[in-house]
Amino acid sequence: MFSDELKALRRLGFRHVLLQVLNFVQVLASGFMMWKGLGLITNTESPIVVVLSGSMEPAFYRGDLLFLTNPADQRYATGDITVYKIPGADIPIVHRVLETHDVVAKPDDYVAASPLAQPQLLLTKGDNNPVDDLDLYQGLEWLERRHIIGKVQAFLPYVGYVTIAMNDFPQLKYALLGGLGLLALIQRE
Amino acid sequence: MHTIFSRVNNVSAFLSSCLMSLVLAVAIASALYHTYQTPPAAGVVVNSIKVLPGKGRYLRKYRSRQQQEFAFVNFNLTADLSPLFHWNTKQLFLYVSAEYTDQQGTANEVVIWDRIVRRKEDANISSTFKNKYHLKDMSTTFRNAPPAHYTLKYNLMPYVGLLAWGEAARTSEPIPFPEPHQLA
Repeated sequence: MFSDELKALRRLGFRHVLLQVLNFVQVLASGFMMWKGLGLITNTESPIVVVLSGSMEPAFYRGDLLFLTNPADQRYATGDITVYKIPGADIPIVHRVLETHDVVAKPDDYVAASPLAQPQLLLTKGDNNPVDDLDLYQGLEWLERRHIIGKVQAFLPYVGYVTIAMNDFPQLKYALLGGLGLLALIQRE
Repeated sequence: MHTIFSRVNNVSAFLSSCLMSLVLAVAIASALYHTYQTPPAAGVVVNSIKVLPGKGRYLRKYRSRQQQEFAFVNFNLTADLSPLFHWNTKQLFLYVSAEYTDQQGTANEVVIWDRIVRRKEDANISSTFKNKYHLKDMSTTFRNAPPAHYTLKYNLMPYVGLLAWGEAARTSEPIPFPEPHQLA
């Protein structure tokens, strides 16, 4: 069945196959490096996210791409659009900050090195939702900085819809992979 | 050499890089426009504040709805935000927030009203409003809360590119919370 391919491989030689594998790994590694490098610069675990729900309509629709930053030296303010993830919830949520309470620890508790080291309590709400997110917090009373992935700084519409389409229609994913594989076989250079 | 596949590949790569540079140009131009623009003229005046007792939301911590004071703010907004509408403005998110730092040093900022403005014709606002969202203190009472500033801020959301935030107006003096009304 694969005898032709095997013959072709044998003709190309072991070194050539290794080179191909190296090229492939290099493409993967450079993509991963760019993603992680961007994460280092913006100080967030995922600097680019795709909108998955309609709770921020008409500003953000499903499939829009958001670019996040999470500067360590800045506090969140009301009106900021944050992406947060509650421990135990499986997907991050994009909602706007409705309330901030910059708490000061009691003097006998501990002395914070800077005002930024003090805890900040947040409450969020989706622009398209009638009520705030308290019921989404799974028992938490307030959101805190450690739950927040980043603040939305820039916006690019539609581009992320590819990933949503591939999740919603797995056939599309297989068709795309199959098509690429077929092209790779046909295109002998 | 010049197969259909390579032609399609070249054309689509060229088109997508053209589109990307156009998008980038639009984003940079509108970001520059926003930084060098004169800030919009607006005013916020608080007409009256009432503080009433009531029951808060159900909290799992207490397994009940706690007794809580709510502040009801009646305020006047005058704002002409139409200069913020340019070629890359999808919508404005306007919000009014109360800001006060209490005796423990906690800085509170609570949004009490918001509105999404999608057309330039709707960006000229002159009207009286009441708060849409609950204004309540973390200590459940406003008895020790200092006077609060009320501000009108906006978030400019573009079709593509950078989001921008700004403050349009602020009350000139902080406004004290009144004594709570007693319900008979």
